[in-house]
Amino acid sequence: MAPAATFLPLAVLLPLGAAAALLMLSHWLPPRSADMAATIVSLLLAVLCGWLAWRGLDQPIVHWFAGWNPASAGRPDVRLGISFAADAPSAAVSAFYALLFAASFVFSWGYFDKVHAHFHVLMLLFLAAMIGFCLTRDLFNLFVWFELMSIAAFALTAYPLRESSLEGALNFIVTNTIASFSMLMGIGILYARTGTLDFALMAHAIAGHDGALAAGGFCLLAVALMTKAAIVPFHFWLSDAHAVAPSPVSVIFSGAMVSAGCFGLFKIVIGIFPLDRAVVAFVHDGLPWFGIVTAILGGLTAWAQRHLKRLLAFSTIAHLGIVLIGVATLTPAGEAGMLLYIGGHGLIKAALFMIAGILLARFNSCDEITLYGRGRSLWPAGLAMAVGALLLANAPVGLLYRAGDVIDHAIGWRTASVAAVLSSALTGGALLRAAARIFLGCSGAPGPERNAPTEREREKSDRPLWLMLLPCCLLLALALLPADLLEPFLRRAARTLLASSNMDAAATAALRQTLPASAFLAPGLAVGLAFLSLMRRRPVSRIARAAARLEMLPFRGLDILHSGFVTDYVVWMALGLGAIAMVFSLT
Amino acid sequence: MRIRFRAAALAASAAALFPAAWAVIAAMPPFGEHVSPYGAAVNAVVPAARHVSNMVAAVNFDLRGLDTLGEESMLLCAVTGTVVLLRGARGEGTSGSAVRLPGRAIAQRSDATILVCRFAATLLFFFGVYVALHGLVTPGGGFQGGVIIASGLLLLYLGEGYAHWRSIVRGRILSFLEGAGALLFVLVGAIPLALGKAAFRNILPLGTLRDLYAGGTMVVVNAAVACAVAGGFTLILLEFMEETRAPETEREPGEGG
Amino acid sequence: MSVLPWCVAAWLFAVGIYGIATSRHYVHLVGCLSVCQSATYVLLLAVGFHWHAGPPIFYDHPPGTPAVDPVVQALVLTDIVIGATVTALLLAIVVQAHKLSGSVDPQRLRPLRPNA
Repeated sequence: MAPAATFLPLAVLLPLGAAAALLMLSHWLPPRSADMAATIVSLLLAVLCGWLAWRGLDQPIVHWFAGWNPASAGRPDVRLGISFAADAPSAAVSAFYALLFAASFVFSWGYFDKVHAHFHVLMLLFLAAMIGFCLTRDLFNLFVWFELMSIAAFALTAYPLRESSLEGALNFIVTNTIASFSMLMGIGILYARTGTLDFALMAHAIAGHDGALAAGGFCLLAVALMTKAAIVPFHFWLSDAHAVAPSPVSVIFSGAMVSAGCFGLFKIVIGIFPLDRAVVAFVHDGLPWFGIVTAILGGLTAWAQRHLKRLLAFSTIAHLGIVLIGVATLTPAGEAGMLLYIGGHGLIKAALFMIAGILLARFNSCDEITLYGRGRSLWPAGLAMAVGALLLANAPVGLLYRAGDVIDHAIGWRTASVAAVLSSALTGGALLRAAARIFLGCSGAPGPERNAPTEREREKSDRPLWLMLLPCCLLLALALLPADLLEPFLRRAARTLLASSNMDAAATAALRQTLPASAFLAPGLAVGLAFLSLMRRRPVSRIARAAARLEMLPFRGLDILHSGFVTDYVVWMALGLGAIAMVFSLT
Repeated sequence: MRIRFRAAALAASAAALFPAAWAVIAAMPPFGEHVSPYGAAVNAVVPAARHVSNMVAAVNFDLRGLDTLGEESMLLCAVTGTVVLLRGARGEGTSGSAVRLPGRAIAQRSDATILVCRFAATLLFFFGVYVALHGLVTPGGGFQGGVIIASGLLLLYLGEGYAHWRSIVRGRILSFLEGAGALLFVLVGAIPLALGKAAFRNILPLGTLRDLYAGGTMVVVNAAVACAVAGGFTLILLEFMEETRAPETEREPGEGG
Repeated sequence: MSVLPWCVAAWLFAVGIYGIATSRHYVHLVGCLSVCQSATYVLLLAVGFHWHAGPPIFYDHPPGTPAVDPVVQALVLTDIVIGATVTALLLAIVVQAHKLSGSVDPQRLRPLRPNA
């Protein structure tokens, strides 16, 4: 067997074996050895997946487990085994996730220093699930990795054992478990329709004979993956879970887990439904609207938050809406933009969550109003936060800007461009406002964020500052890299996953364009919004008070919407499934 | 949202979904008249290829062994999470007495209960081992056997009381058993790779059909799954039972940031 | 009669969702999640069934006798373990939440806000 194909299963076997070994030996290991082992394993995996991505550029590397090759059934319409296929995009995304995990392990060094290495076992299983999710070509295997990802995340969210953590974990578990049941129903329906679980065979069976079963199966799978990707109206769990999870875990949630939902949606559309006209029409015409609403709703809600982790959670929701728009284009350019956006956004969001963790460790709070002016001694963190905020606001440097530009060109909708500008400005502006409040001590009267939910909490505080800042600054430096470095890789990678023609000339030009003047619109708007909110004064005159009440109204409505009750979230999920069914019948 | 709004919203989504659901139901193949090519191929090919007679076990441990590995890891995750959640807040003391709630009478355990539980626990333990061992020839297997063993151990709690049960069933051994089962499964996957074959490839001699040893590496995987499931479920039951332990001190230290 | 299992699966799922959305006790909510899960089992097992076919265990019958689909049965076996693990995790969290806040009402517990 070719060496690359031999090493491919190690991408999941290594973290699973390491987690099992850590669990077995947990009572006898010296302290800090679990930290070291976990970091080494994730770095090894990043190197392995990167190598597989490079080797898989022209032809995906395929591995059939247990030796059940496609020929072993003796008939062409049955494949008995499960296959992994490392094409360049899947392996590159896996390598990126492994890198984020390594950064998170360095950040959490010494955080969980009680014995038994439970945190590291859970995180390594989480990493194995994410890599398996990206590499598999079998639908039930995808479900197994999806479920493993979810269960590890559930346990990690409840880890701090505070009241808020437990309640946030309950919301997370109930909504995501319903999502996984929906995925199972979809798998059952598709299995009844196609008689197989392999992506390629399913695509062949559905091709041309699209009907209600394929559509129904797709809708149910889409509900599950959109819940994981926190697309409106399935997004309510994310703000609760991210705000209460420990910071090293929130780094992974926002940086990797939610984008895996979008990537998974892309994989199943390209892998199973590329020749189903109804599904492709829905994805092309209907999904961008979900993305647009998500981007705007996420941005507006983020503006009215004061708890930093909750603010970052809503900004993740907003940016994932833009990734969904990239997924919905179903073109090589859109795919390249989606990959670049996953990378850029993941790096920046991970760095920002690390800064929130630093604030929690030093000051027992990450509320921007409580921490007013107290961050002056931590000016490096403040600088990093400002850089991250400007990058999120689409400042014209680095990976995220170029990714947003490519997606913009790929979809070509005016509404999508406006939504992207608005949401980037709102999220970047909210973060700039928070950074100015905490680290510079500037503020006016607090606006709609005054009534946002918040609490005091604490995280373990005796880790050295440089150890926490190091991975944060490293990730930001990676996010500032010019996208031209990745352009040759992306051009070849995007072509292989879609197996179609090259990216068209316009999109290729977009990947290496010079800056138009409109590039400064979103960051300028963000800085302006932040400045205006910091200049706010308490309303005294009657007109000013009426204006202030009017301004509070929509944010008050959004706050009531995100009520925190899991029963409401489940109702919204049911309404969302109904909405998907109706939009499907319209497109 | 008040409950009336929630019920109304659910009714609205049901109305929106009804035509779609009916279209899907109408398009489903008629019940009992549809033969799936995948299942038919498994039934036709696997008995001769792997010398086993339990097709479900063959699918679980050989054809789709990777799914089973993922599911074992899920068990690992859930057990670790339960341990963190329940032990973390409670601490790891080893006092041997159950908590006494004020105002609750302490019922004496009757001799009949103790005797029946001792018999039943022993029988269940051996039955579980039997089901696990014969997993490749008759209905059964590692999961089923492991769960039966775990429930047999629970009967011991019923019969012996908290203190004696706690001295028989030890958390460290269980987590070692569970981790060992999972690690063995990973090794069964990785060793064929080192030999240049596909992962999880059956490299042991295949044995004979309807014999206790059949299926090659499936026997090893079956045993690994039985260990992991027995250890995992017993550990979950242990952690829940520990909630009834009397705390040693006022506030015991635990995990968590 | 040939659409009955699919209708049963859809009904079970709907009833489970209704139960979760109107639940007043977290243990009841966990039970409703099990009902939703049963819907998936019914669907999967019904997909694999075939009239006049026996179980896919060739111990008493020679290989080659008509048998139902073993693949969906293996999938359901995997799902049962998944369901058990999620239930255990949920119940552990509910126990802890009850200890910390004194309530198990889904309509009173929400994160980051003082409980109503």
